[in-house]
Amino acid sequence: MSGLETFMQAPNATIEVADDFDEINRLFRERGWSDGLPIVPPTAVRVEKMLTYCDRPWHEAICKVGPRYGEATPARIAVSAVMAGAEPRYFPLIMLAIEAMCEKRFNLYGVQATTHNAAPLMIFNGPIAREVGINSGHNAFGPGAQANATIGRAVRLALVNIGGAFPTVGDMCTYGSPAKYTYCAAENEAASPWEPLHVERGYNIDDTTVTVVGAECPHNINDHESITAEGVLQTIAGSMGVAGVNDVYHDVCEPVVLIGIEHAKTIADGGFTKAAVKKFIVDNANLPMKKFSRENIERRLRFWFPGKYENAGPETLVPMIQRPEDLIVVVIGGAGKHSAFIPTFGATLSVTRALKCADGKPARSVEEFGRG
Amino acid sequence: MSELRKRGVITAVICSEPFKKLGTAQSRVFGTPNLPLIMIPHPLGGLSIEQVGARAEIAIPQILAVIREQLK
Repeated sequence: MSGLETFMQAPNATIEVADDFDEINRLFRERGWSDGLPIVPPTAVRVEKMLTYCDRPWHEAICKVGPRYGEATPARIAVSAVMAGAEPRYFPLIMLAIEAMCEKRFNLYGVQATTHNAAPLMIFNGPIAREVGINSGHNAFGPGAQANATIGRAVRLALVNIGGAFPTVGDMCTYGSPAKYTYCAAENEAASPWEPLHVERGYNIDDTTVTVVGAECPHNINDHESITAEGVLQTIAGSMGVAGVNDVYHDVCEPVVLIGIEHAKTIADGGFTKAAVKKFIVDNANLPMKKFSRENIERRLRFWFPGKYENAGPETLVPMIQRPEDLIVVVIGGAGKHSAFIPTFGATLSVTRALKCADGKPARSVEEFGRG
Repeated sequence: MSELRKRGVITAVICSEPFKKLGTAQSRVFGTPNLPLIMIPHPLGGLSIEQVGARAEIAIPQILAVIREQLK
């Protein structure tokens, strides 16, 4: 007996459509169930195959996805994963990412519905990210790796079809973002001179985690000339002082600095720990008051930071981030002297969550989920 | 707001035109599909105090209508 039988008996759980790829895709686009790209038809057979890598009850919600607060059951998530073209062994990581972004501190409702161009950035750490082939090197946020492309896309389709993030209804983004198609990579732990993000956040090196951040696309930071740690860090910090990011108006925010592996080596060779990197950047990522509009000074900076800028002059430096520990630093990418600044929605905090089996033990291999 | 409405409190949500679909959808999500939306012109950001006052002028008759309707 099919494990999907209960699911399929629910009202409107299935639709009948001609067995024709183009016709199915036309229907999905018309109903707003697609991201605009062709989808893999989520037949019962494919959905059940996806669920061979799920060790939880298929019909019990693991969380509710705003703004519609639809119940995210493994069966429903599997539909999005099939549509996205994901491999079944990616499925535990897709579920993990969705659970993480539904934690209260992430404010998924805000990230989904805002006019800001935020999308949930997913940074994976640990052995299972490597096992399933999430790209952490060259072009990690670009095309080419099936895991990066389809894990992120599966999450996006779930955010739309379970969470109701339909454009102009549940997603009011002014101009959208390419990161809303997929925004997924792993940290390049092998090439990083520092402890990886999940270890920094208290997890074991052998744990597999996702860290989700309600973020803009990466803003590139080019530095081909600096040969000292301070030089590279000054370029990074100098690239972050901008007047129009949300983070500058929030007391607590967690933007990301993505450091390319060549920049990371130069910085680490100069004796900088990760904590020292954060302190240098936060101390130096700022913008003179004169770069802000008069209205923003009065109605934003002085409103959100009462007393702080009352007597500030045009040269007073406004910090982009308030505390070094709030900055997320990760090493991602391949060869090349580029890093990136990734601002956030502001009214969101990152969440790191570890991949565990149904018995609560940390998963060490994706095959622990396989029923295949 | 939906929770207040369920408890019988007179409620409405003030909304600008581009957000009407979101407001309507959220009203349904939270189990109060008839939650009144008070419609005012967009935008809301960057308004002078006079412009805020003008939007209040547009909102007030709608708010009074909601109150009258719910007091019936």
